[in-house]
Amino acid sequence: MKIFVTRIGVVSAIGLNVEENLASLISRQTGIKKSSQHNLMLGEVKLSDQSIIEKYNLPQKDYSRTTLLGLLAAKEAWGKNEINSTIKTGFISATSAGGMDKMEKYYTQFSQNENNSGTHPSLVFDNGGTTEVIAKELGLSGYIGTISTACSSGANAIMHGARLISAGKLDRVLVGGSDPIVQYNRKGFSSLNIYDEELCKPFDDSRKGLNLGEGGGFLLLENEESISKTGNTPLCILSGWNNSTDAFHQTASSANGKGATLSMQRALEKAKISHDKISYINAHGTGTSNNDLSESTAIQNVFGEKIPPFSSTKGFTGHTLAAAGAIEAVFSVQAILSNAILPSLNFSTAMSETGFIPETTFRIDANLEHVLSNSFGFGGNCTSLIFSKIQ
Amino acid sequence: MYITASSTISFQPTFRNKGFSDEISELNDESEILHPDYTDFIPKMKRRRMTDVLKMGITCAMDCLKQIDLEQPDSIIVGTSMGCNIFTKRFLDKINSSKGGLLSPTSFIVSTHNTIAGQISLLLSNHNYNMTHTQNSLSFEQALMDGMLCILEGGENILVGSSDENERELYNMVTRLNNKTLLSTYGASFFILSKEKKEKDNIKLVEAESFGLVEDRPKILTQFLNSNKTSVNDIDLVLYSNSVPETVNELIDIFPSKKLYDFQKITGTYLTNSGFAMNYGVDILTKGNHPSFEKNINRVLIYNNLIPENLGLILIEKNSD
Repeated sequence: MKIFVTRIGVVSAIGLNVEENLASLISRQTGIKKSSQHNLMLGEVKLSDQSIIEKYNLPQKDYSRTTLLGLLAAKEAWGKNEINSTIKTGFISATSAGGMDKMEKYYTQFSQNENNSGTHPSLVFDNGGTTEVIAKELGLSGYIGTISTACSSGANAIMHGARLISAGKLDRVLVGGSDPIVQYNRKGFSSLNIYDEELCKPFDDSRKGLNLGEGGGFLLLENEESISKTGNTPLCILSGWNNSTDAFHQTASSANGKGATLSMQRALEKAKISHDKISYINAHGTGTSNNDLSESTAIQNVFGEKIPPFSSTKGFTGHTLAAAGAIEAVFSVQAILSNAILPSLNFSTAMSETGFIPETTFRIDANLEHVLSNSFGFGGNCTSLIFSKIQ
Repeated sequence: MYITASSTISFQPTFRNKGFSDEISELNDESEILHPDYTDFIPKMKRRRMTDVLKMGITCAMDCLKQIDLEQPDSIIVGTSMGCNIFTKRFLDKINSSKGGLLSPTSFIVSTHNTIAGQISLLLSNHNYNMTHTQNSLSFEQALMDGMLCILEGGENILVGSSDENERELYNMVTRLNNKTLLSTYGASFFILSKEKKEKDNIKLVEAESFGLVEDRPKILTQFLNSNKTSVNDIDLVLYSNSVPETVNELIDIFPSKKLYDFQKITGTYLTNSGFAMNYGVDILTKGNHPSFEKNINRVLIYNNLIPENLGLILIEKNSD
């Protein structure tokens, strides 16, 4: 059974919708800037919580930014689609932070005042709750799910949707994820000493770490039957997917890239294509010393001597954690639609260990047929997705 | 497919105690968690730094593997509503007390929701599919559905479970409930779903579904039973959870009240307690009888309606092959 991607939506530091994001990718314009408030390089979405609430005329509630960013992207991807009782429709979102922004706010209040009868921090932290608000706003009910596997969450939500359609549980599913920049992660990644004080440099020999970003990405997946009813135009096919585990360390990736090698190989098997058919890899490429080397080794394991063009778009958006896999899936779809290989930013010197050189320009390639997108997370969680052009 | 291993750590003597359903009684305010001896399951150095959600989850997982002498499951799937909440709060405390100084990343790196599933893969050196579902009161059902998908996709033995740690004083707000009669507890329950049965009396997992933001619960239940070619009369026992009286009123309209049992009386209330309820159902089905219920129990429905707008349905039955 074919799983079609029929609509996409994205919000990130380089744009508030699909069009703006693509324009920034073409013009190689990063969205990462030094935040004077936090003295850190951050890929912030240029829209306040209040502006999003006003934009959609939402109730004046204390919604998490996870919900609000997710809603922006989900609304774009859902578009004018309608609820139809004959199309089994689901909604799967991914978040690592859940309502952490609100938890931070209420946790401090709560811990300072034992008798606080106001909002409890755990209530706003609830991952599933952030998903439900988006689903409600779109009028969706039924399979409403949240996946949380750290930085691979977004890709896993997409994969889960595809599997539910394949199994006949759903005909149509809106899949993706969102995460805001929160103090918790700024402090957390800084404490790990993997935060680059300058712009991150994925796959560069002198890379020092990641920059955090925020955003949301969603894709509408449909089977043929659903398309016959919705009339949506298929953009491409989600042809392969896999999740495998590195089982090496809670946060670090193995030197031999075992998990990533498996996820790429098994996704290729699922798509029933050989590795030499991959036209472009949108790598996880966080810019940390550990990830980029481990991922390069894994790419070498899978592709051998002939490495396809590859890049990491995290130099544009920053690392958007649970949203990353979803945002980069949207970028992968855009790559297929524009027949273009997307650029890496801030690259100058190849890694001494591999000599790999990522693509650094937005390059039109007429034969772009299959795009591989990698997302890896804490817990050794490795996911690869393959998007294919409709023949 | 079959449930070939099951393990629960709870406020009841459930752990490594087949046939526990006869022995356990309804909880009261004095009830406490019954931690097993974790030394048999988790290496000491690792255990020292673990919070309950990890210790309980990992131990139930390892216990399941031991029960059927399985080295590597084809997938590891966990449902957790709040994940590693204690580590999360610990790191928040550190941020608040550090005043911008250096922070130790220890609690940060184990605070992601998928730490439970990730740690199981690390202990087993398991490189397969590893997933974490966090849909508040439906987290267990969604993990179970994922496990069923894995079997459909060709998996032989899938490790599926749920774990949630102590939220005692918080649960009312966490679950959006305002029901003071519920007793807050916590725990973990893991299972192995297998394509083939290992023992003659293995219980069949017929179907699991989760429904979010629902309005018409009876309609969904009817559709669920119809699609599984099961009539109301085929169900011998309904283990349900609820936080509003409407749930029970609706069930009484459908089932004779003697078939209904509020499983929270024995599990207590936490967002993934339907995992414990499924193990309770498995235990009753394996024996075929329970002194409090009808004779000859062949089919059990777990009706999770803890959060009124979220509904989890699990159907298990005695293997008649």
